[in-house]
Amino acid sequence: MPMPFDAEQSGETDEALLLAYGRGDAAAARALTLRLTPRVLGYAARMLRDAAEAEDVAQEAMLRLWRIAPDWRPGEAKVTTWLYRVVANLCTDRLRRRRGQGLDSVPDPADDTPGAEARLIAAARAEALETALASLPERQRQAVILRHLEGLSNPEIAAVMEIGVEAVESLTARGKRALSAMLAGRRMELGFEDD
Amino acid sequence: MTDRQMNDTELEALFAAGRAVRATPSAALLARVMDDAMAETGARATPEPRPHGAPRGALAGLVAALGGWPALGGLATAGVVGIWIGYAAPGGLEAVTAAMLGSGYDVTDMVPSLDTYLTEG
Repeated sequence: MPMPFDAEQSGETDEALLLAYGRGDAAAARALTLRLTPRVLGYAARMLRDAAEAEDVAQEAMLRLWRIAPDWRPGEAKVTTWLYRVVANLCTDRLRRRRGQGLDSVPDPADDTPGAEARLIAAARAEALETALASLPERQRQAVILRHLEGLSNPEIAAVMEIGVEAVESLTARGKRALSAMLAGRRMELGFEDD
Repeated sequence: MTDRQMNDTELEALFAAGRAVRATPSAALLARVMDDAMAETGARATPEPRPHGAPRGALAGLVAALGGWPALGGLATAGVVGIWIGYAAPGGLEAVTAAMLGSGYDVTDMVPSLDTYLTEG
């Protein structure tokens, strides 16, 4: 079997790989799997904070990508933007179901975990951020995660969330203000000194 | 303790720490995703067969309603014979009716009330 693409080191664009997979190229599928599954899983894990659920969402999102491949119209949308939108919708469905069941599977704040003091500052910061993010309204959390953790541009986030760029800016600004207020009391603990 | 808001630099330091922590897909998940990709390729290569015996359109529905093609063949033959009798009016037909009904009968014998309408004057 010819192997035109060398997994994730391939210089091919996501779209070229997707079109190649649509024509039945297994190597292109492998390259896309290695390149995109980590991103999809990372975003799902941040939104859901549940490893098993995030894996399910990642697999489902990738399955939808495989299914759309033969009908993918080049140049219309970025593959990653399309994927983030699928993940966002799948996560929203699951978060709604959680609320519907009245379950709160969000873990306790990190500072209740035994041995937290021994953690590195960076790990404590990441944990504190994750906890604070979890208490943001869903749309704000989504926008902040996409902007500041996934590194998407505002127009990309607008496409993912199917809203205008101004609305994205407003959501991220409000989200950051809320995070700042929530974490203000933990500044010293997180290694920030007063001026 | 001063609870002033975090500034942008501090918040960005938190985001940097957050970006460094990322869920990594297990080998099992990657294998499942790849299996799905191959299964989808396989599914596309073999198109789904049309359900057996399902009607394919309006004509097929009509044929089925009339009892299928054999019944339609009989219906077509009867129609053609009827048209032929109408146009050709074969002489032999009168002999058939005479033999069946007898020459002594008229149409009013079979429908007596018709006589009123047929009487002239």
